[in-house]
Amino acid sequence: MQRWVTIVVASLLLVLLQTTLVRFLSIESIGPDILLIWIVALGIRDGHITGTTAGFFIGLVLDLLSGSDGMLGLAALSKTLAGFIAGYFYNENKTYQTLGSYQFLLILAAGALVHNLAYFVILLQGSGIRWWNALLMYGVPSMLYTTAVGVLPMFVIARKHLV
Amino acid sequence: MLKRLYDIVLLFKEYVLLGLFLVVSITLLALNDTRQIRTIRSFTVVSVGVLQDILSFIPNYFDLRHENRVLRELNLVLSEEVSRLREGKLENLRLRRLLDLKERPPNQYVSANVVGKNLQLLRNTITIDVGENDGVRAPMPVVNDEGLVGKITATGRGYAVAQILLNKELRVSAKIQRSRVDGIVRWEGGRSLTLQNVAKMLDVLVGDVVITSDYSSLFPAGIKIGLVSAIRPIPGSLFQAIEVTPSVDFSRLEEVFVIIHTPDSTRSALEQHFRE
Repeated sequence: MQRWVTIVVASLLLVLLQTTLVRFLSIESIGPDILLIWIVALGIRDGHITGTTAGFFIGLVLDLLSGSDGMLGLAALSKTLAGFIAGYFYNENKTYQTLGSYQFLLILAAGALVHNLAYFVILLQGSGIRWWNALLMYGVPSMLYTTAVGVLPMFVIARKHLV
Repeated sequence: MLKRLYDIVLLFKEYVLLGLFLVVSITLLALNDTRQIRTIRSFTVVSVGVLQDILSFIPNYFDLRHENRVLRELNLVLSEEVSRLREGKLENLRLRRLLDLKERPPNQYVSANVVGKNLQLLRNTITIDVGENDGVRAPMPVVNDEGLVGKITATGRGYAVAQILLNKELRVSAKIQRSRVDGIVRWEGGRSLTLQNVAKMLDVLVGDVVITSDYSSLFPAGIKIGLVSAIRPIPGSLFQAIEVTPSVDFSRLEEVFVIIHTPDSTRSALEQHFRE
């Protein structure tokens, strides 16, 4: 129970950070997705159930904050997928080895790519914009930026648990 | 039988949960905009808005110096423009009286601070600290001193969410101020906007000012959107691709104004009736 309360509180704080301070880090409207880093980390640390559930609810809050653009459920769906994929790399005995090494960055990049792919394919249905163009212009840079920011928690975990 | 089903669900609980969340997400996408969803959205906007407001005390020091210099320069340009506009307005009044045209009422504005910016891929929105208590409703236009910012899409009691022009869902009926050529402005990614549906033979030049059109029922006419920055003919098409640089600097958006403007219900009803 206490674990879930901690996850909810931390998630809410990160939603606030994402919607307030992360804008200062954005370049050409592309910013790091710190919530995705958090969801992937949860998936690796606690497994499929936590990653998927966190992904769904965090995505839902982001959808609600996007106003009525007819896309409620889009971030929920894409973040659910990212959380689920991260869950595949859950290993109780190797949690910190994974989170504190380059493996975390690879998983994060894979999660971000699937997240952005699902996001653009659905978002751009019926619009004049081709999803693969949007994926190249926004999805890939956003994935790289998010992965680069993921280096920070990786180092913190490596220092705290592996040194 | 039930026990067996339970065992199967337990065995594949991760996949069941994934399936459940995916089904709920897709259902929400299909439901779109019901009253219940609007209520939940309003609650979320207010709750997160309050917290964003608390965090928004952190100023962007890096921008202040630059902003100060830009404002001084702008002040000079505007002083000159005000005197020219004053003369233009007097002339316009005289001509309108002559032509007996209907005077457009002045806009009512509610000022607001940007307390949150949600830069989700291609769904860029801002959260502002005014809401239903201030008379703000969807889909009122949002502007600043530079031009059109976007439109309100969700409201709570003290906060509202607005789609900005750099949002692929937002389309604005626009015209070239000089030649009165009409088109639709939308964002397709990148730094600039696109003015669409403009035939190749129509008069558009680089540097032309793009403003909101009288045809828009959402936005009052005459709000500056941006400047034409490039024109390219589309091969095999009757239209040209017109690139518009937005006049608003969205990376430095801090204060905005909501125009208390509601679409003319008679006009909307007539247009809706015609479409049906």
